[in-house]
Amino acid sequence: MNTAKSALRRQNKAQRLERVGKLARGKFVSPDKVSQVLKRIIEPGDILCLEGDNQKQADFLANQLATLDKKDLHDIHLVMSCITLPAHIQLFKKGMIRQVDFCYAGPQGTAVADLVKAKKFPVGAIHTYNELYARYYIDLTPRVALIAAAQADRKGNLFLAANTEETPAIVEPTAFSDGIVFAQVNEIVDRLPRIDIPADQVDFVVEAPYPMHLQALFTRDPAAITDVQVLMAMVALRGIYEKYEVQSLNHGVGFNTAAIELLLPTYGERLGLKGKICKYWMVNPLPTMIPAIESGWVESVFAVGGEVGMERYTAAHSDVFFTGRDGSFHSNRAMGQLAGHYAIDMFIGASLQIDINGNSSTVSKNRITGFGGAPNMGCQPTGRRHPTKAWLKAGAEANPGPGSPPGRKLVVQLVETFQAGRVPTFVEELDAQDPSIRKALHGVAPVMIYGDDVTHIVTEEGIANLAACRSIAERQAAIRAVAGYTPVGLKRKKRETEDLRARGIVQLPEDVGVRPSEASRSLLATQDIKGLVRWSKGLYDPPAQFVDW
Amino acid sequence: MTRGPLFHEQTARRRIAALLDPRSFDELLPPPERITSPYLAQLGIPVSFDDGVVIGRAKIGGKKIYIAAQVGQFVGGAVGEIHGAKLTGLFKAAARDKVPCVLIIESGGVRLHEGSAGEIAIAETMRAIFECRAKKVPTIAVIASDIGAYGGIGILSTCCDFRVMTEHGRLGISGPIVIEKWMGKKAYDSANRALVWKTSGGKTKYLLGDADALVHDSAAAIRDAIAKLLGKSSPVSLAAIKARQKELEKRLKRFGETADPDAVWKAMGVRDIAAASLASGPEFAAMAKRGK
Amino acid sequence: MEKFAKAFPSKPLTAKTAKPWALAGVVGSGNLEVLLERGGRPSDTMECHVETSIPGYKASWLAALADFAHHYPAGGTKVTINDQGAPPVLVTLRLRQAYDHLIKGDK
Repeated sequence: MNTAKSALRRQNKAQRLERVGKLARGKFVSPDKVSQVLKRIIEPGDILCLEGDNQKQADFLANQLATLDKKDLHDIHLVMSCITLPAHIQLFKKGMIRQVDFCYAGPQGTAVADLVKAKKFPVGAIHTYNELYARYYIDLTPRVALIAAAQADRKGNLFLAANTEETPAIVEPTAFSDGIVFAQVNEIVDRLPRIDIPADQVDFVVEAPYPMHLQALFTRDPAAITDVQVLMAMVALRGIYEKYEVQSLNHGVGFNTAAIELLLPTYGERLGLKGKICKYWMVNPLPTMIPAIESGWVESVFAVGGEVGMERYTAAHSDVFFTGRDGSFHSNRAMGQLAGHYAIDMFIGASLQIDINGNSSTVSKNRITGFGGAPNMGCQPTGRRHPTKAWLKAGAEANPGPGSPPGRKLVVQLVETFQAGRVPTFVEELDAQDPSIRKALHGVAPVMIYGDDVTHIVTEEGIANLAACRSIAERQAAIRAVAGYTPVGLKRKKRETEDLRARGIVQLPEDVGVRPSEASRSLLATQDIKGLVRWSKGLYDPPAQFVDW
Repeated sequence: MTRGPLFHEQTARRRIAALLDPRSFDELLPPPERITSPYLAQLGIPVSFDDGVVIGRAKIGGKKIYIAAQVGQFVGGAVGEIHGAKLTGLFKAAARDKVPCVLIIESGGVRLHEGSAGEIAIAETMRAIFECRAKKVPTIAVIASDIGAYGGIGILSTCCDFRVMTEHGRLGISGPIVIEKWMGKKAYDSANRALVWKTSGGKTKYLLGDADALVHDSAAAIRDAIAKLLGKSSPVSLAAIKARQKELEKRLKRFGETADPDAVWKAMGVRDIAAASLASGPEFAAMAKRGK
Repeated sequence: MEKFAKAFPSKPLTAKTAKPWALAGVVGSGNLEVLLERGGRPSDTMECHVETSIPGYKASWLAALADFAHHYPAGGTKVTINDQGAPPVLVTLRLRQAYDHLIKGDK
């Protein structure tokens, strides 16, 4: 094989490994040598991927990286899903980053906004998760990837446990383009329960001095669900789940959707809906799903990640959850998002702000958060071809033209008209459209879900069926009709609202058979975390912050 | 499939409706009389028509009682001038009419906004409770919500003949945050809810004998517990106080140096701490050997 | 604190109510109480008095009260509200609950 003018990446990789030399013993690096190894395997100008997933973080590696100097590490093109740790922010403050491409910055949203204002956040674009992983194979292929795994064996095989998240999506493009993969693990063992990443794809392993950072992001205490959220859940169940016979779905995690999950065994049962809806789920193993699973509503659940405390429960319910040969839970963000895009009848979730055209965003001048996965689920999958009842019914209402698919995915925004502190959810124009934000993002406003993709908005006032609207003016009127007493809502015109209601485009709770005075927390299958533990027959282990007994 | 509403989540007025014989409640000084706090407006705080406590005459199982239910969401259920006056008047009427008096407690103690007035009112109410007991008129405190009975109301609750608690209730004087501030986080971590409830919650209080009944978190269970206690009362005598002092000295001797609440439970016969922690009130009561 | 009063036209209350007054809600952060009383005023008017610890939302208060007066025959009643920052949805809910209790009594 002529390697004179080709295989440059392979040669360069060999040089980097040579520089590491005796700092590693085979693949294994001791914790005190990590920063020196990082200096040698990363070169200025590299595309560097740091595993900052939604839940798990390669935090030991990130912290070691943040101890380096700008002279050792500069002009780095950072690609990562979630900017979560102070160490991540440090990299920007130290001036090491030439460009960043990411998806979500929730916990560091304020810090990122500050960096933007200080012009220290050179962003390429905010992406959705699958969009970023896709670019790892196109123009953002990582040269070096720093990842987090649960365990490694003495050969360097990796076990990812419940929180697979996007590790395979990062490792594959890196390993197969002569990149370098460095994994931190909680422990090195003789024998893994199962092999999730083969040693062939791993170059270095360190047993971190502390377990990887892992957040219980998706646990919602039923005690915090309000009567208003129960009302909205009842309205959604009758006006959407029941009406369209939603069999497959994704819940954007929140108290609103947790209320729906906890109403299935009670209110849903009373309505005779078991078996007719909610059989197939793409969602994390949420504790609030336990009563519905125990009551026989759920056929299967695939997830993008795990949830702290649900390890024993998921392992004991392998007929519902995806588990490995070793018996423990398995997840995959890239594939979960793909499933959430193509293979479900409905996405339902909340947002912080919605404008009069139905566009939504969680970004404001003082908090730049990004999108996470919502856009992948909350959009119309025009590449879809297989029909389901819900898809066809929603499609018929949308009156597709000759060049459009006959079906539509249900994309539902479930929001209260006011957020905490009486801040209105509905606005004439999104904060995300602010010129300074657009400028920082090269002219593209960070809209999470586009109004054209939304089929319904559900508030405590009722349901607006946007898909059935025939013009932009009509859609705006429908949104104002359910925007309650926000400034946007107060601008509604009585005649227009009454006409939309007569045509069924706007429905009040009474119109879908729900009496507001019926809505009460006592309808929930359980009112507290302790109740979830009982429902789970003792298999659910709530994290310490949720235990008050 | 659904159980009924949980007592600890119900409002004061709902609790009254659920506890009492149907249509037997006759509210005294009801909202239309607008007897509200004269002090809150100048602090920019809205008043409440009943100043945070609902009082009146009623019946339980056909028997006449006087009843008061505090509204924990209104300034933490804390006692101000009007609220305190309503309690004092109620217990005085109970003593005068020889009718048992039940207090559904949900209070942090004295309303700081009305400090002196609140202190005085609580002291006067305690005196009225002693008056009831001197006449063998039963006085019953129900402590069944997360807010609990703290400060001066915590003390007041122990002046009553009986205390009915649930696993949600807590009884103390200084709240967890104050304890942490004085003793340090290592000694008492106020953010550790399990610790807070194991030291001042209904289960431990029942175990140690400070609560007389530990019942299910429902109006029906609390009603039954109250009904059982309506015929009993004892005066506050010097002999009784001396006996109680001796009991507390014994308790201090036995558990004064114990740093772990689980050790107290174990010493009192609870074998499976995890199961006991998860158990409901009545389940726990069955597991443990209650003593003093 | 903000205080205001306004009377809204409303169809007269039905002849019989179970009680002369009804209370719904509790004063607490993000909450309100509504006292609804009948008697002694023009039978085609719902008289409202609002006292709130969060100023600046008069427009949405008036809109919510006007909507309620329009949808329910509440003429001849007086509505008095003590509010500590409740969102409009709770205002409507409590008005409906108080109205329900007034007409039908407590369940």
